Amino acid sequence: MGGFSLIRNVGKLLRKTKEKKSLMQNDYLDSKPSDSLDVNFNQNVETLRSVYDNCSDVMFRSFLLFGKTRAMLIYIAGLSDIEAIEQYVLSPLMQESSKEPQPLNEFIEHKMPVPKVVKVNMLADCIESISSGNPILLYEGGSDGFSLGLSKWEKRAIEEPVAEGGVRGSREGFIESLEVNTSQLRRIIKSPALKIQSMKIGTLTRTNVSIAYIDGLADKTLIEEITTRLERIKIDGILESEYIEEMIEDNPFSPFPQIMSTERPDVACASLLEGRAVILVEGTPFTLIAPISFFSLIQSQEDYAQRFMAGTFIRWLRYFFMGLSLLLPSLYVAILTFHHEAVPTALLLSVAASRESVPFPAIVEALAMEITFEALREAGVRLPKQVGSAVSIVGALVIGQASVQAGLVSAPMVIVVAITGIASFMMPRYIAGIAFRMLRFPMMLLAGTLGLLGIMMGIIAIVIHLCSLRSFGVPYLAPLAPLKGKELKDVLWRAPWWMMDTRPRLSGDSNVYRQAPEQSPNPKRGSETE
Amino acid sequence: MKHVLLLLVICGTTPFLSGCWDRIEITDLAIVTAAAIDKKGNNQIELSVQVFIPSSISSGGGQGGSSQGGSGVTTMVRNEKGSNISDALSKLQSKLPRKVFWGHCKVFVFGEKLAKEGIQEQLDFLLRHPQPREKANVYVSKGEAKPILESLPPLENYSGEVLRELSDLHIGMLVTMQDLDEMLTGTPRAAALPIVKILPPAKGQTKLQGIPYIVGTAVFKKDKMTGTMTEKETRGLLWLRDEVESYTVTFQPKGVKGKISLSPVSAKVKIIPQIINDKWKLLVKISTDGAVIQNGTNLNLSNPKSLKAAERAYQKDIENRIRMAFLHIQHKKSDILGLGKDFYRKYPKQFNKVDNHWDEIFAEMEVEVDVVAHIRRQGYINKPAGLSENEVKDK
Repeated sequence: MGGFSLIRNVGKLLRKTKEKKSLMQNDYLDSKPSDSLDVNFNQNVETLRSVYDNCSDVMFRSFLLFGKTRAMLIYIAGLSDIEAIEQYVLSPLMQESSKEPQPLNEFIEHKMPVPKVVKVNMLADCIESISSGNPILLYEGGSDGFSLGLSKWEKRAIEEPVAEGGVRGSREGFIESLEVNTSQLRRIIKSPALKIQSMKIGTLTRTNVSIAYIDGLADKTLIEEITTRLERIKIDGILESEYIEEMIEDNPFSPFPQIMSTERPDVACASLLEGRAVILVEGTPFTLIAPISFFSLIQSQEDYAQRFMAGTFIRWLRYFFMGLSLLLPSLYVAILTFHHEAVPTALLLSVAASRESVPFPAIVEALAMEITFEALREAGVRLPKQVGSAVSIVGALVIGQASVQAGLVSAPMVIVVAITGIASFMMPRYIAGIAFRMLRFPMMLLAGTLGLLGIMMGIIAIVIHLCSLRSFGVPYLAPLAPLKGKELKDVLWRAPWWMMDTRPRLSGDSNVYRQAPEQSPNPKRGSETE
Repeated sequence: MKHVLLLLVICGTTPFLSGCWDRIEITDLAIVTAAAIDKKGNNQIELSVQVFIPSSISSGGGQGGSSQGGSGVTTMVRNEKGSNISDALSKLQSKLPRKVFWGHCKVFVFGEKLAKEGIQEQLDFLLRHPQPREKANVYVSKGEAKPILESLPPLENYSGEVLRELSDLHIGMLVTMQDLDEMLTGTPRAAALPIVKILPPAKGQTKLQGIPYIVGTAVFKKDKMTGTMTEKETRGLLWLRDEVESYTVTFQPKGVKGKISLSPVSAKVKIIPQIINDKWKLLVKISTDGAVIQNGTNLNLSNPKSLKAAERAYQKDIENRIRMAFLHIQHKKSDILGLGKDFYRKYPKQFNKVDNHWDEIFAEMEVEVDVVAHIRRQGYINKPAGLSENEVKDK
């Protein structure tokens, strides 16, 4: 009995027996091909009933097909469209007066007004279908079941992305439903070259995961590599795309993300158009983009949605503040404890004056303030909205004002922490900001022990690490290292669109040109042709 | 995995092995803003340091409105005698609870007495010690140097700042420690330093509220001060050193009443050493443009003729200044302009022959001053203000 063995296996898994490995080998996925539906209707119903033992949300609706044949409709309450079931399945099939059409399976497959009917003969497929909201229709005398595409469940409306806001550009964000998300991609990229491959990951959650890419732009080997890495995942559940990200990363021990996540369809599509692949995961609005380079994390969709000069200016500002968010507190500490001569006299004197009553060494003060700031930030995210504003006011008052007035913290330190805090939020991708925020602490320790020398050592270590990173084989610092002069147009500055002739070369050389060359608007050119 | 972790732990703890050995909190520093060195008794010097008091401008802790708390005293002066600076300093340190920090000391003042007896020995400390800056300004005080530090200027935070700002205006000479070292080690072995003096406090101000200001130039032969130059002579010296910046030239054109004041807008100075028939000669070529600041005469300067006359007088005035300054330093037999270097570059063979009696040659050298001066700007008005049409000499 396939169904029983499945339940047993799942039960074992839940009981956390020590034979984890052997369990994973006999899991649900492997049992999939083995059991087919029985010819006996009662037998099939019995099997399914035992599979869904103690599942009160699974409905078994038995009825008579055209008043004669016994049939059973199995669906999960809340996952299937009850009205449609009633209107298009039950009422036509239960008409006693009409003659029973023959053969029955022909009728169900072709004459039922249901968007999608799939013949299933595997038990596992039946379960799959039921779990994803498609009711299963079984009838006496038929060796096959039918999966009716009538899934419908409550989902959130498309909203503005919360973590990646913007002034100009699309305001749509991904939501938790995979179908809606893929439809959003398809709505932007209408070409059939946009391919979306699906698979299920998670022995218990059976989460739908889709890989989207553009045929001809994305490297074939890249898609194969992503697929193999995804197929390698054996896990009970996927609740967030981060699970997958960590399972398929190139270097799992790096503070820097080698796969980017976004909740914006426009960002995902921009990546698709650059030949990258997008991994969509059901149940989370955050989709994954791979391969990426370090600079993808610093580029915001809004850089491209405003005039290129503004985009370039903002981008430079972002680079500058990225450096600040990593280095400012450590530079402050290093200068205050080792290199007093490195600042202008007037500045040193006023800093000295403000530090006069502070009882802590600069490094302790800096660490304490930075940790407090991180705590405030985290609390601000976690707190209920109603309390949030109160806490931020208290935090700002206590830390900003009272501690300075009490002489526990110097005012310049508050300024440094505030600038650093703001700087880390200038990163368009939240995760990239976090990487820098974390690295700030070891840098501060280095600065407090070895001064500028320590900071240099820290920077060198970070740069070496960044150089050694790969994202699906693409160097992390590309196009800066290895240097690709042509691609710097999107790194050193944001070139105007008519200059963005080429796509970034991720791995293959195919389809380099994204647009016709020399499209710069030129009134003269127009008049010549006239 | 274990090995990687172990490696990380080892690497992570190495920075702490140093024990932060040269870490000094800013609150443990006595920031010296100016220092003075005087001669005291036989073979003793007195080192005075002006130390910044951080709590004097501290706003932290004080909810009070004024940041300039209390009496407004931002510095204090501590002094100690010793056989040389380092000796005095080590004694001084025992009187200061914080570590003396020279990194922001931008003013060094030598007392007149010490300057006359030689500054080389003390200069060695300042140049050898890693903390004092080579960019610090060096001065000689009229009389003792210590009172310069003790004065409490009403406008700036401390007297060292006053001196530095005054020097930056280029009214007197601006000599940094590096310049001084170069002058003393270079071929002419002569130096010039600005002289400072306390300006007595104005009425209603407390006794200490005088400020130091630059009154002229001290002339050094080798490391000993041999004489002084007045402010007016210093101006001529600045012309020769091509350091002229904003100041006013006032002169009287021939045959008219009243004076014209000009401010040099730009000045190009070229010093050309010459040896003609074994005669050492210096050619100073100056081309300068001036702007009229005040015209007290009845000349209409928009008239080319009057302008020419004024320009001629301007040229004469500059030439006189330069001649006066040059005669003065020739008289002192100290080549503070470093002319020896210029001659050596152009005539190395001839110079090597006279190297040991260069001072005499310098003293007898002829100087030719060639000034091309123009008046380019006249300000908002052409004709002298407050004069009726017929009073203006408009030829």
